[in-house]
Amino acid sequence: MRAIAIVVGGFLISRAIFAADQAPAAGNSKLTAMLAAKDANGKPIITPEEQAYFSGLNDNLRALLDDLVQKEVITRPEHLATLLGLQLRPQKMEVLLQNRCVLCHTDPESQSAENLFSVGTTSRQSAVHMNLKEVIEDVHFRRGLSCAGCHGGDPTADFGHGFVKEWPEKDRQKNRAWVVEFCARCHSDPKMMHDFNPSLPTDQLAKFKDSPHGRTLLDKHDDRAPSCVSCHGVHGIRPAKDPQSKVYAQRVPETCGACHADAKTMAGFTRADGSPMPITQLAEFRESVHGRALLVRGDLGAPACNTCHGNHAASPPSVAQVSRSCSLCHSANASLFDGSKHKQAFDQHRWPECGQCHSNHAIAKTHDSMLATGPGQLCGDCHREYARDHPDCIKTADYFHDTITQLDQARTRFIAVSERFAGRGLDVEPINNQLTELGDALKKSRTYVHSFSRNTFQQVAAPGEEAVKQTDALIKKAGEEFKFRQIGLVMSISFIGLLMLAMYLKLRQMEK
Amino acid sequence: MQSSFLKKKPKVNGAEESQGVRGWLDRRYQLTPLVEFLRHKEVPIGSHWMGWYYLGGITMFFFVVQVVTGVLLLMYYQPGEATAYESIRFLTTKVPFGWLIRSIHSWSAHLMIISLTLHMFSTMMLKAYRPPREMTWVSGYMLFLLTLGFGFSGYLLPWNKLAYFATTVGTNIVKSVPLLGDWLLQVLRGGQDVTINTLYRFFAAHVVILPLGFVGIIALHLLLIQRQGMAPPVGATIAPRGMKFFPSFALRDALLWLACLMALATLAVFLPYGPGIPGMDWELGEKADPLAPAYPGIKPEWYFLWEYQLLKEFPPHLFGLEGPQVCLLLIGVLFGIWAIIPWLDRRAYHDKPSPAFSDFGWAAILFLTYLTLMGWDIGARGISDELAAMHNVARVCASWTLVVGALVIVVRYWKFGGRWFILSGAALLQVALHGLAGVSYLLSGVIAVAVAAIAIAISYMTNSRTDAGDAK
Repeated sequence: MRAIAIVVGGFLISRAIFAADQAPAAGNSKLTAMLAAKDANGKPIITPEEQAYFSGLNDNLRALLDDLVQKEVITRPEHLATLLGLQLRPQKMEVLLQNRCVLCHTDPESQSAENLFSVGTTSRQSAVHMNLKEVIEDVHFRRGLSCAGCHGGDPTADFGHGFVKEWPEKDRQKNRAWVVEFCARCHSDPKMMHDFNPSLPTDQLAKFKDSPHGRTLLDKHDDRAPSCVSCHGVHGIRPAKDPQSKVYAQRVPETCGACHADAKTMAGFTRADGSPMPITQLAEFRESVHGRALLVRGDLGAPACNTCHGNHAASPPSVAQVSRSCSLCHSANASLFDGSKHKQAFDQHRWPECGQCHSNHAIAKTHDSMLATGPGQLCGDCHREYARDHPDCIKTADYFHDTITQLDQARTRFIAVSERFAGRGLDVEPINNQLTELGDALKKSRTYVHSFSRNTFQQVAAPGEEAVKQTDALIKKAGEEFKFRQIGLVMSISFIGLLMLAMYLKLRQMEK
Repeated sequence: MQSSFLKKKPKVNGAEESQGVRGWLDRRYQLTPLVEFLRHKEVPIGSHWMGWYYLGGITMFFFVVQVVTGVLLLMYYQPGEATAYESIRFLTTKVPFGWLIRSIHSWSAHLMIISLTLHMFSTMMLKAYRPPREMTWVSGYMLFLLTLGFGFSGYLLPWNKLAYFATTVGTNIVKSVPLLGDWLLQVLRGGQDVTINTLYRFFAAHVVILPLGFVGIIALHLLLIQRQGMAPPVGATIAPRGMKFFPSFALRDALLWLACLMALATLAVFLPYGPGIPGMDWELGEKADPLAPAYPGIKPEWYFLWEYQLLKEFPPHLFGLEGPQVCLLLIGVLFGIWAIIPWLDRRAYHDKPSPAFSDFGWAAILFLTYLTLMGWDIGARGISDELAAMHNVARVCASWTLVVGALVIVVRYWKFGGRWFILSGAALLQVALHGLAGVSYLLSGVIAVAVAAIAIAISYMTNSRTDAGDAK
């Protein structure tokens, strides 16, 4: 009897354990059914890729998904497919699955197109800024701010709508002025920003308000002016160092150009002098030496629009600001210019220093002919018009031009000679050493033109002229060496030839 | 007291013993028989061009130039990681006439290989290897192999970038030798990779090991030639007309050597770094950097190009072996056949004309020509697509080889009455199939060999039937 009791007891206990094991299986079966669901045509709704992604999920994420299915937050296989289709890394998936805002707003059945997060821009009819893939890459989302961080509400509640008071329920699209204040709630709060990124400035709003963009948007209520989202995006905001960010150095020209190269947007805007605002800046920049460096060569040290104009306080630089902007990189040229006679003259005429000769957006690669003084040439034309009383200046410009041209021509000639001599097996190392000296002197001379002083220029050009003399002498020596080789060869051949002749004659004589 | 042999000897055969230095030497070293031998030694003048007889002498002249310039280079060259390249640079730029010595050494090396190859092929075509001169052929063949060794080992010594990578690629080939490959590679490189240790052993090989072997074998080669004389034309039943070796032939030799010296000097002055053909270029360039990545288009010297190209034509795997292993095996077999030609050529052995072996020589030339031309990538210029370039190279090189081959056959037919073209025909068939019809190199080779085998069998059967008919 005891044995029977033990067996029955054991059986009951095992049944109980088995039943306890089966308890979550009810939920599992619901999730399993959802994973296996098919559409009207008999095709699986969850694609094999999504199935594979699900199989690779850890237990925690599976339990979370199971729980959401159980609680009927995820009710349809299409909804589950949207979430699995994101193919997120586990950490991100975990954040997403704990966010009720996203979970509700990804259900195509319950949400209007306006409020639905789509997976890709083409998958379902929702707005571009509702692209879920962009949302989860957003710097705010990644730092845990999620939807509620801006919009308010409770992301853990089943229905947690409770917008912050700054969020305009209506007419959000009509006037965008509210956006800047909305972002500034956090971004102008040093204490708040310190918790997220201590190195990020908090003066954006102040700068913006004082800028032409800010005044147009906030004072004139002209919606063509940009707000924060115009440049940074809405839900897919990324840090400026992220190459996919709209404000990444290489993308800045295109971002600014979206308005500044668009005739419709810029219609009616004028410059300080009342002339219409041009729309050629982007095209000019693309072709300029800076644009090519930044956009073609990918040199991130090259300037974009914001390098000279600023970003949140973007404005056209004043006359004095132009040279200051340029001098940030071209410091040697700028300091030489500041010490030159031109500084005073340019100030009197209120000419933008660098821009006067080099232009602004369309800065082309400089050329030595800019120094020429003939008609139609930069130095000559300007001086004939504005400095007729200073004929010496023309002579100085001629001196600059002649010296640099001579050094450059000599260098080109020497390089060709050096290559030719190297092919002849001559020692060209001393020549090449002098060529390096000459190259350095030439580079310096071109910079020291900005001193507009004969004496200062001469100090750096002199080593170049000396290098030309030295190279000339070395080339002459190498040429003589080659001649010596040729003469030596002719003499040797003649000697050998005579010997051969003598031998031949002897041979003939012997064989007669 | 004077020993008896220093005393004036009595008259021998009525002639008084010579006086002076010669007498002094003769008494000690019995030079008279040697002088008599030289006086009577003759070079046969036969039906073929005398020019072929001079190629050996020219090769030896280039070798002497190599020894002399090599010794001069040795006075400045310092093997070592920080000195090898630098010392050659110093030698060619700062040392008076250093450039000339290096340039002559390089030119003479290439010209020596050219004259040696011509010498070998002329010996082959004239059947000068037939008895009793088999060992002259074998010793000459060994000298040929040693010369290739000189070329390969000397190439690395300047320790420049080109040499470094070419040697890396070149030595890598021995890895495919079955069983011993890895060990051989270690021995050759002095480690797993080409390092300065490789340079040390290449230096030792280039200036000590190879020269020792070379001098010994060349002595044997010369001794055999002097003892047996130059080979007369095949089938010469009566003693051919002769030319006195001394002074007629020797003076002619010397005249040619002087002409070679003139050519060397002129080339060294006007083309100090070679003719500008890939594989025949010795501009120093940059120093070797074992850490730098290998750059594409590394090719060996021109005389190794055919092997390089042949390796490229082999698939990765063949008959259960690795492609390069099969290729090395094939090259080994070809080199082996070449070494034992005196014993294979039975007709020449019996002093009868052997047109089949002349044709074999021409087939070998066409085979090498096609591979070398392809190795030079002739016809690849301006074609960016690699596969299209490869096909065009094969087409252009095949066209050239076919033109040369056809001309050779026509000249042999009309001028020399040649009637046996099976092997050179097979070589041309392979070239045409590969280059023009686009059949793979190996398959076209197999087809060509099969066709040649059938043709030889048919020709053999026809001949024996004719012979049998004649006998009846």
